Amino acid sequence: KTDQLYGHYCSCLFWLNHRLKELLRAKLTECGWRDQLKAHCKDVIKEKGLEHVTVEDLVVEITPKGRVLVPDSVKKELLQRIRAFLAQHAT
Amino acid sequence: MKMEDMSLSGLDNTKLEALAQDIYSDLVEDACLGLCFEVHRAVKQGYFFLDDTDQESMKDFEIVDQPGVDIFGQVYNQWKNKECVCPNCNRSIAASRFAPHLEKCLGMGRNSSRIANRRIASSNNMNNKSESDQEDNDDVNDNDWSYGSEKKAKKRKSDKNPNSPRRSKSVKHKNGEELSNSVNADPYKYNYNTGINYETLGPDELRSLLTTQCGVISEHTKKMCTRSQRCPQHTDEQRRAVRVFLLGPSASSLPDADTMVESDCYDASDGQVLMSRLQWDGSSDISPSDSASSKASTNNSDSKKPKKKKKTSLGLNSTGGGGGGSGSGGGSSSQTSLVGLSNRKKKPKLPVPPTQYLDNLN
Repeated sequence: KTDQLYGHYCSCLFWLNHRLKELLRAKLTECGWRDQLKAHCKDVIKEKGLEHVTVEDLVVEITPKGRVLVPDSVKKELLQRIRAFLAQHAT
Repeated sequence: MKMEDMSLSGLDNTKLEALAQDIYSDLVEDACLGLCFEVHRAVKQGYFFLDDTDQESMKDFEIVDQPGVDIFGQVYNQWKNKECVCPNCNRSIAASRFAPHLEKCLGMGRNSSRIANRRIASSNNMNNKSESDQEDNDDVNDNDWSYGSEKKAKKRKSDKNPNSPRRSKSVKHKNGEELSNSVNADPYKYNYNTGINYETLGPDELRSLLTTQCGVISEHTKKMCTRSQRCPQHTDEQRRAVRVFLLGPSASSLPDADTMVESDCYDASDGQVLMSRLQWDGSSDISPSDSASSKASTNNSDSKKPKKKKKTSLGLNSTGGGGGGSGSGGGSSSQTSLVGLSNRKKKPKLPVPPTQYLDNLN
């Protein structure tokens, strides 16, 4: 039973995931989050040197800042959608 | 996805909330990672800094915020007062007046009085009646040269009878135009709106024209009116005068109240013409005998002629009855009356033997 449910939810969640990802990206670009982070990236790169920067460097530097920089409105809306989706499928 | 162990039905609200938060943070991290990968790739491929400009350029293209100047630093009507040199007359003209000046100077615009200049030029060259430009309307001024010459060429062609020999007369000097000396006449272009120049037509063409059209020559354009025989702009006297002028005193080809079947339907106009002639002559009677006799005589004589001739002579017969000796036969009376009509100021009629003119008509 759980397997079936799992499969079902996975597919649903996959769809949800996809939709929400797109939504989030659009909203973050719109509110300038992306440009902010990109500017931060430039600093990191200049600091580390253009030739030697690695993905890890960037990830380590960027991700925490990124999480923090998400505007509240975007966060709220996203959570709302997730909850609604979950409530729909809670039975 | 970290939702593998989920079966939502058993969860309470707190867990649901935690779940939602998890999902959310996953999404945000995904976005961040995506950005990192993009940036890293841009760095490694070398296009990361491409959209940046250096400081100097940034200063150059800064937005200008001064009064009297737009954001690019340009003054509003800077070029209004500049002066340009006309390539035609080499005068210095203000920029805002340059276009109208060119119009006049080159003689190509709408209000350029190009017609007048052409007339002067051609009359100077030819020292005779110049072929008037067949542009009565300003619209032709709006066309550029190529189209204008095309139009003229077409009209020239339309003036020529396919059977007539080439005429050197039609080779007249026009400003840069190639005259259509070709013999390709388009009969269907015959009736051109702006009229036909009688100089280019031979006697046969003239006759054919004059029986179908009004033909009155306009004073200022030197063209024949192409409207019907009943055109309201011209009187019958004018039409008759034109015919006399063009075809000779006796060879008037004005159609008349005729019952000749061959001709085009001039019935109404004939009647009108008839009436006007009657009034004009004053005391003219249309004696049926005269008409009959004249018809007979003219029939015989005019058998070879084109239909117009028959008609005209017949038409004139009726008035001839009133104007002159009706018994001398249709031909003479018609000729007489015609001449009389044309010369009415001087003499009532000129006695003319019919045969001469019939021969001429032939």
